Amino acid sequence: MKKDKVHLLDKKIKDLTAKDLEKLEKPLGTSDRPFPMWGTQRIEHNGRADLEQVLSVISDDTYPMKVYSDRPYKEVIALSYCDMPVPSMLPLFFDGLERRKPESTNRTQMMIGDPGAGKSFLGALQGRLRTDRPIEVLDCGGKNMRELLFEMVLDFGSGDALPKSIDKRLQAGTLEPLSMGLLKQLPAEAVSLDKDGHVKSVDWNWLKTAGGDEVEKSFEVLKKISKTEGLDNAGGNALGMNSQYGPLIRKFMAGEELVLDEYNKSREGTDDNLQTIWQFFIGELKECTVENPLKNKDATSGPSEFTFRREDMKAGFFITLTGNKNEDGITTRSLNKSVYSRLSPQTLPDPDIIDWQHRICQMMTGLPVSTLYTAFREQADKDPEAFGDWLMWLRETKAEVEGTPIPELQQTLLSNWKNVVNSSEKLARFYDRWAEMTDADKITANGNADLIEEVDEEYTKKEGIDFRKIKQHLEEAIPIRPRIQKEDAPRAFNTKAWDKMPKLSEPVPENVSLNFGTRLTEFLERMVYEKTAAVGKHNLYSKLQKSMQEFALRDITLQEGARSRQRSVEEDLNISAFNDRDLHKQANMARKVFCDYLRQVNPEIKATDEEIITPKAFYDTLKYVAEKDTAPKNEIFVANRDPESIYHGKPLVEAVIKDIAVYTAQNLDELDFTLDDLVGHDDFIASLALPTVGAKNLSAVWEQNIRLIEPSEPANDTAAAPDGTGVPSAGGSIPSYDESLLVAENRSDKKIATTSVQVLYKDADGERPVSIHIVRNEARNKTLVVSEKAPSKLLSAFKEAGIMHVDRNDPNAETKVEAALTELTRGMAPSINARLVDAFKYRNNINVEHLQGKAPQLAELLVDKKVDMMFPKYVIRKKSAGM
Amino acid sequence: MLNPGPERHVMSTDLLDEVASVAAQKKAMQEGGCKFLPHGCRLFSIPQGWESNMIRRDKGVSTCETMLELEAAVQDAGVKVLFIPVDALMTDEDIEKICQRNGVTKTLFKEVNEA
Repeated sequence: MKKDKVHLLDKKIKDLTAKDLEKLEKPLGTSDRPFPMWGTQRIEHNGRADLEQVLSVISDDTYPMKVYSDRPYKEVIALSYCDMPVPSMLPLFFDGLERRKPESTNRTQMMIGDPGAGKSFLGALQGRLRTDRPIEVLDCGGKNMRELLFEMVLDFGSGDALPKSIDKRLQAGTLEPLSMGLLKQLPAEAVSLDKDGHVKSVDWNWLKTAGGDEVEKSFEVLKKISKTEGLDNAGGNALGMNSQYGPLIRKFMAGEELVLDEYNKSREGTDDNLQTIWQFFIGELKECTVENPLKNKDATSGPSEFTFRREDMKAGFFITLTGNKNEDGITTRSLNKSVYSRLSPQTLPDPDIIDWQHRICQMMTGLPVSTLYTAFREQADKDPEAFGDWLMWLRETKAEVEGTPIPELQQTLLSNWKNVVNSSEKLARFYDRWAEMTDADKITANGNADLIEEVDEEYTKKEGIDFRKIKQHLEEAIPIRPRIQKEDAPRAFNTKAWDKMPKLSEPVPENVSLNFGTRLTEFLERMVYEKTAAVGKHNLYSKLQKSMQEFALRDITLQEGARSRQRSVEEDLNISAFNDRDLHKQANMARKVFCDYLRQVNPEIKATDEEIITPKAFYDTLKYVAEKDTAPKNEIFVANRDPESIYHGKPLVEAVIKDIAVYTAQNLDELDFTLDDLVGHDDFIASLALPTVGAKNLSAVWEQNIRLIEPSEPANDTAAAPDGTGVPSAGGSIPSYDESLLVAENRSDKKIATTSVQVLYKDADGERPVSIHIVRNEARNKTLVVSEKAPSKLLSAFKEAGIMHVDRNDPNAETKVEAALTELTRGMAPSINARLVDAFKYRNNINVEHLQGKAPQLAELLVDKKVDMMFPKYVIRKKSAGM
Repeated sequence: MLNPGPERHVMSTDLLDEVASVAAQKKAMQEGGCKFLPHGCRLFSIPQGWESNMIRRDKGVSTCETMLELEAAVQDAGVKVLFIPVDALMTDEDIEKICQRNGVTKTLFKEVNEA
């Protein structure tokens, strides 16, 4: 027989034994489990001590904080660290724990703060730490507070038969039109309409306890519906009104927590008779009796009175009251002086940058990485891996409590927790600035007086920044959605057969973390524009734009000088699985890409990954690749397709780039390789899709020999020597500062480069060498590769590797290349396009008939099949087979 | 010697459903939109199809067609994951309201019709 769970919190405090207390007590903030805490301390600066608020920890084995909880210790720890309130609210959290101790006679906590500050969250959190049962959060807005003691309720009888019958008919669409009309007469808060204005749902539980007047009105309406539907005759469809104990008494009897949300939005004057109750709850009275004014009203039945006694207090009972800081005298009122004096409300401070950051991290990863890092910085920096493992354990344990897996994005972000800390700080600073600029009350004091014409109270109410706005922004950025094309991007479509479904290309799934940073920062950019410039607030727009730049939200190369060394939010949050520092993980990913590729290009291979090659063999191969210095000799690694050597644990073969420029410079008439020695197009392309291997190859394909073949003027250099010296390079007469040449050699300080190589391609027209053009932005680890059609199994891996591959035979190839080039050169001076074309011309002959007299752009050249290489750089398989 | 009967080789239907449900949940978490609801609740959208069927069939997941059912499931400490079918009688605001007044963390999957 299943044993019912014992809830010690349901026991009266006076009946708790020492053993019970021991079971309930869960220490928080001990020497080996320190807990972050925010507080005021005297800090010394240059011999002078000032009081400052700081984030430190509580780590006291004798007097730790204690959570009295029915939950297992592990759950309390995971929830208290993952769902931790923002730093500035931690003192209230601490205080709340103190007041929940069995010996505490004050069983209340009242907090006053801005909307969205997390007051009800904090109240419920403290309850959630103690029990897995829900914590009732009662919205007091517009409510009669007398009903906290005794309330008039709709009585639907056992099993809620009447509401269930109405719901059933509503769902089946069989409710009479008259009843539908009647449902709309119920209080607006109880009825939701769909977009066509039809009743979608009825909130029966809310209706039951909607308050005296609403209950009476609803009772009449429901009586009519019941009759119209013929439900009044059916057995069990009872409908009545009754008075019952209100939530305060019910929770006191059950030993449970209650959050009275928006208490100062309750109906004025209705809390006058609660004063003695508050005196009892804060420990001033030992006993207090209340009478039921509803008893026998309209022939209803119910209890006549209730006596609160200290000796009946249960360990789980607690009341949290929350209130809004901005009293407008209409919906939010000032409370009675005696209420303030009895409940001693604690006012929440305005959020600080550390608070914004905390919440951003919590929403992105499921736990406040930044606060934990700040509190344990020294240890985290000393052993980042152990710190990362600890974060993951906390998140996994929370997932266990919640009974769901950890979302993949959160897992990836946690594995890259340093990126999260860096980016969240910049985001927090930006949000803090945004909040300052949109707060009409404070703009004159915080240095934004020039915004006074644009930011008024109405604007603050609608567009002011709070935690809820951040939540909305992150919600928007998480899913992958279609992106709008650039306005001036060329577009073409087939005008025929629109009655048929479109032909879609093979889906190429993208890891959600790969472009998370781009999605988030693009969304923020859009929001900033739409909420400011688009509605005529140009000054605010300009200031916010500057802030976005100051806090490095977008990943742009600064036009006026060298790229800032500061990593952008976008860069930090665009996380590729390929960047995992663990070589074992890289090897596993590489093996999967390789095996999928192999099975696609050799359909006769049916073997599993394990049968093709072991993880160990792939790891050993990757280790060898990672350690080898290949760039100086233009050495690369390509996919091996020889079953025999793959079976012997060699998934890659070594190759080298042989440059005809060298043969020409040395006057060699004969080549020491043939067409058969060329690496296949697909094998080269596949190598770029493999983690570690792709990166290695992309560092080894650049020009080393142009200076041998270009002894005269550079292709088209207009740039001045950066150092003003005009010193020519040692290899020839080309000045070392020729920007195009530097671009071809991947040595430009703009970190952009382009080159071309030739590989073997086979199709219906036979075997021939074909060009592969590469354009790379080294700083952003993004690469454009233009070649023949690539095997579809490689496309997802290309995305992870930051490679945008374009098939030059695609009818939209030029548009795609142009979009990719725009992405690669984002933020650079327009002249970079000319430098790229010049760099391209070092190796490619554009003197073809159809381009005569034109000044083609790089996108056009890269996809042009008639443009061939001069002095090709062939990718040749090394003589020894595998590695 | 033990003679392994078929039951030793065949995974139980329940277990298969559970595994498929977890895979579907992960997919929805990765691809569908996530709405952060009060008290740490999260609402994921899941397109109508095999994924939503798998979650619905999972015995550990509570299916809620009405607000009464949703609130009962939210208040049940034994229920951690909730499934809301496409034709359920509730709006997103209704879901948020119920999560707000019941301070407890649950994960909700809402079936959506993408057609």
